[in-house]
Amino acid sequence: MMNRYNLKYIVSAFIMVLGLASCKHHEDEYHSITDKIEAEGKNYQGTSISSEAYIGDIKTIEITEGAHTFLIPERKSQIKSYACTECHIKPLAKMQNKDFKKAHWDIKIEHANENTMNCITCHNGSNMDELTSLTGKSIDFNKSYNLCNQCHTKQFQDWKGGAHGKRIGGWAPPRASMTCVNCHNPHDPHFESRWPARFNTQKVKERE
Amino acid sequence: MSNNNKKWFSLNLGRKEKESSGACGCGKTSGGCGAASQSDQMTDAAFAEAAIHASIGEEKNKDGFEQVFDVKMDRRTAFKKLTASLLIGAGAVSTSCSVIGGDESKEKAQIDWEEQFKGNYKLMTDEEKNGTVDRLVRSYQLRTGKTISMSSKNAEEDVLFGYAFNISKCQGYMDCVNACVEENNQDRNSEMQYIRIHEMKDGKGFNFNEADDNYYHEVPAEGHFYMGTQCFHCDNPPCVEVCPVQATWREDDGLVVVDYDWCVGCRYCMAACPYDGRRFNWSKPEVPEAEINKNQHYLGNRMRKKGVMEKCTFCVQRSRAGKNPACVEACPTGARIFGNLLDPDSTIRWVLENKKVFRLKEDLGTEPKFWYFMD
Ligand code: SF4
Ligand code: SF4
Repeated sequence: MMNRYNLKYIVSAFIMVLGLASCKHHEDEYHSITDKIEAEGKNYQGTSISSEAYIGDIKTIEITEGAHTFLIPERKSQIKSYACTECHIKPLAKMQNKDFKKAHWDIKIEHANENTMNCITCHNGSNMDELTSLTGKSIDFNKSYNLCNQCHTKQFQDWKGGAHGKRIGGWAPPRASMTCVNCHNPHDPHFESRWPARFNTQKVKERE
Repeated sequence: MSNNNKKWFSLNLGRKEKESSGACGCGKTSGGCGAASQSDQMTDAAFAEAAIHASIGEEKNKDGFEQVFDVKMDRRTAFKKLTASLLIGAGAVSTSCSVIGGDESKEKAQIDWEEQFKGNYKLMTDEEKNGTVDRLVRSYQLRTGKTISMSSKNAEEDVLFGYAFNISKCQGYMDCVNACVEENNQDRNSEMQYIRIHEMKDGKGFNFNEADDNYYHEVPAEGHFYMGTQCFHCDNPPCVEVCPVQATWREDDGLVVVDYDWCVGCRYCMAACPYDGRRFNWSKPEVPEAEINKNQHYLGNRMRKKGVMEKCTFCVQRSRAGKNPACVEACPTGARIFGNLLDPDSTIRWVLENKKVFRLKEDLGTEPKFWYFMD
């Protein structure tokens, strides 16, 4: 009787050990990489690696949107003809006659259709130094993403998190990300089709 | 002779800082031992004996082979394995002992010798890593007169590198491929490339059999989408498992790397990789001097020899310094996202937690650290 008990006990213990062991890939303690990331990232204290040096000469401003705080390039100093009021001394309506020099002839709007957008959807006719929201609230040129996110809400979510857009410098903190207008021309935001950067002639030969 | 804490044998062929001892034993520090009397020189046979003894004789002086196999080897097998090396070594000795050889060629020979008999990078102490990197830099300088910088920076704690690729963003421009070739000093003639961009038909899913990875027409082409592959730096890498000499391994920050000087070019790893992540070089990578990227890492883009395995290293020379890999930086569409998987605030973590991500052949259990996602 005693023996049987013992045997049962030993067998069940053995099975338990087996079960435990089989959960492990090799000596690894985790089921999957996601478990590993979660477990090992729990006590993350930061690293000594910084990407700050690679931001270089780009002038940045810090923004906080929702749970995310990061740097984006400062915009106003990059716009050649800013401040706009250097030319736009009068409201737009009063400048629409022959006495003024023609300007912005090179700008073509390829952004949504005419029913949806024209210049004053984004530009404030009476204060050219600022942008304007759909409801007429003013938006700073440095935070022009607030203009874009009125329609492109999904892209905005992804951009805040880091799934849309591009990092400046490197992967390590501090995070600096391009803002919408660094990649998209707001007047013509789509990406052009073009030829690939290279063609592999050796591969063609190899596969003949 | 060699320091006791060295894992491999080294001769001091005319090194100024060390006094006469070792195989060259002529006592002269420059000018060649040819000037010394005949009896002071070692005969070839004696030299070979000394080299073998030094390399495998004593267990306390574990050489490279023993580092790997950690078993005693009988002299005959060891001798066989060493023959090739000895030929080079003998060359080094004859150069160093010739009358005509200058100090520089002696130093070159000395470096060649030490490089020939160095151990596996994976098992080196930091000091030894610095040593080999210094030798390689010096050797490049002696050969070309140019200075490069080479790093032996180890994996940082609390870092695990991961990568995400946005299939809806990639337009097939191949700017990443260009950047990779330049960054990693890849051979220009053979056009071997670590990254492939596959053009796939909409509606056919991931169908690599029908995909084209060498298209040349305006992109993006109507009715197609693009996705890139490269080494995925599996967390459970099958390529590492099969290497007979442990020349490839997973570093602590998750990078799967190759010691080009330890690789014997058997290509087992290439066969074991389920993702076509590895590239074998059939010729010595040649890059025009002006285009050589001089910012190098031992495990990354340094100049390699012929007949070894190469692959994407997530640009170890850049990523360990806090930069993004060259492909990430070059991509104009932002389809490539890179970062530290252990940092809960990193952008890569946000992507993994908030987008619908997937990996290739997940059921294999290789745990690639390269995710795909869509907008
Ligand atoms: S993708 Fe291939 S080469 Fe890269 S780690 Fe995985 S198995 Fe190894
Ligand atoms: S090719 Fe090199 S790295 Fe690959 S398995 Fe053979 S020795 Fe190892």
